[in-house]
Amino acid sequence: MSDSSVIDTVGRRGALAYEFEGSSSRTVLTRSSCTSPWHHFPPSYLDDSGCAFTWLVNPSGGLVGGDHLSVEAQLHARTHVFMTSPSANRVYRSLSEPVLQEIRLSVGADARLEWVPEITIPFAGSRFRQSIHVDLAPGATVVLWDAMASGRVARHERWAFASLENEICISGSLGKSVAERYRLVPGLLPESVGLVGSWDYVASLFIIGDAVETEVWERLDEMLATILEQRPGLVLGAVSTPALSGLVVKLVARSAPDLTAVQEAMWTAIRKELWGLPAPNLRRY
Amino acid sequence: MNTFSLLKGLRFVDSFFPSGGYAFSSGLEAAVQGGAVRNAEELSRYVVESLTTGMGEREAVTVGIAHEAYVSGVLETAFNADRELEAMKLGRESRAASRQMGRQIIRLAADQHTRQSLIEDYLAAVEAEQTPGHLAVTVGLTLAAAGWSKEDTIAAFLYQTATGFVAAAMKLLPLGQREGQRLLESWLEVIEPISHKAAHQQVLQSWSPIQDIYAMRHSRLESRLFRS
Repeated sequence: MSDSSVIDTVGRRGALAYEFEGSSSRTVLTRSSCTSPWHHFPPSYLDDSGCAFTWLVNPSGGLVGGDHLSVEAQLHARTHVFMTSPSANRVYRSLSEPVLQEIRLSVGADARLEWVPEITIPFAGSRFRQSIHVDLAPGATVVLWDAMASGRVARHERWAFASLENEICISGSLGKSVAERYRLVPGLLPESVGLVGSWDYVASLFIIGDAVETEVWERLDEMLATILEQRPGLVLGAVSTPALSGLVVKLVARSAPDLTAVQEAMWTAIRKELWGLPAPNLRRY
Repeated sequence: MNTFSLLKGLRFVDSFFPSGGYAFSSGLEAAVQGGAVRNAEELSRYVVESLTTGMGEREAVTVGIAHEAYVSGVLETAFNADRELEAMKLGRESRAASRQMGRQIIRLAADQHTRQSLIEDYLAAVEAEQTPGHLAVTVGLTLAAAGWSKEDTIAAFLYQTATGFVAAAMKLLPLGQREGQRLLESWLEVIEPISHKAAHQQVLQSWSPIQDIYAMRHSRLESRLFRS
């Protein structure tokens, strides 16, 4: 086997697929499959709302070049699923092949999806390409959080990855969509990554749904804007209304604790305003 | 490009054209009030980044795709780019500003380019709310109809964007006309290669998070000179 063919085979093909259906009192996982490095972990129920809290578990240390991971989840009508990861998504240095991570989420009529993974940490020299596609049926709502660090900040490793590509696309039932897409290669701009270079964390939050009343969006808009103003100099963020019914937040933060505090405050406000539910303790740490 | 084509196109990217562009600052006003842009040097950093990895990879690419749509006669391509841009412009004010200016351009373009069915069909779709009518799409279609090349059309769009930043900055900062012209001249070196690159791209993307955040914060400013 030649050196090039060895490199061609580097990386794992890991697929995780979940299907959720509603029973009388709770959302249940009715079908699942996974291949390495994904590990199956049944949902837990952290409150009495019936929401299935589902952990995307990759017990390996992180992602290496050539890895091709996918997550597919289908939420049937009137289900409620919260999906997260137990720890940061670490992307290791790669000389050539990027890590590919493809997420496809289908949210059925009147269903609720909360996609709130831990942060992505792109190590120096890493190459990461992620796509997240969400299809919303009428009445469905998605809360989607996506955050990245500049690198291993504690090691003073900042904006030193080779490339990072990210695509988020949320499609509504009437053909309209909301999208964010970027390809970041440090060094393309005169000052590496531009004005964001003095910050260490960048995040986006999408809250989209066509069944939420206008007054609720307006109230939530004000609440999120207030939360974003609570750490001047440490967090800079804004909330606005995208092309689909809902809200979008973009923010940058100086430190992980600042980012986490703002994210948790916003998540608590969102759950309360949209569904009258508290934000349970995720028992992550 | 012959002289008549040049003149036909210039009208639409000239500051005399009534697109309403003078009313928008693309988030610059919020950045100035937030202390992120305080002088000519910081303004240049802010604008160069917008032109390079922000609008330069999103709106500029859209202009090129719309130009192609006109040349090939396939208007569906322009509709798709319009839809994609609508999805990617996350801030309400930025989206509304782009649609308002685009609408002005395509209406007057339809007046000038009579018997140009593609322009008329696109205007009809905008008026019927079947397509958003973003500025980048309308500039691409209109200058293609005037006979401009794709790269020249993209460069003109970016130049118009750059002059808009300078005009807004002169109202927001202690920035004189000579300093404004000096900045514009330095940005020409940025616009030329970006126009070339954008002309060969088909995928819309954008990386200018700080500018995006300030554009989204604009609507909450207590006092405002601009509408975006």
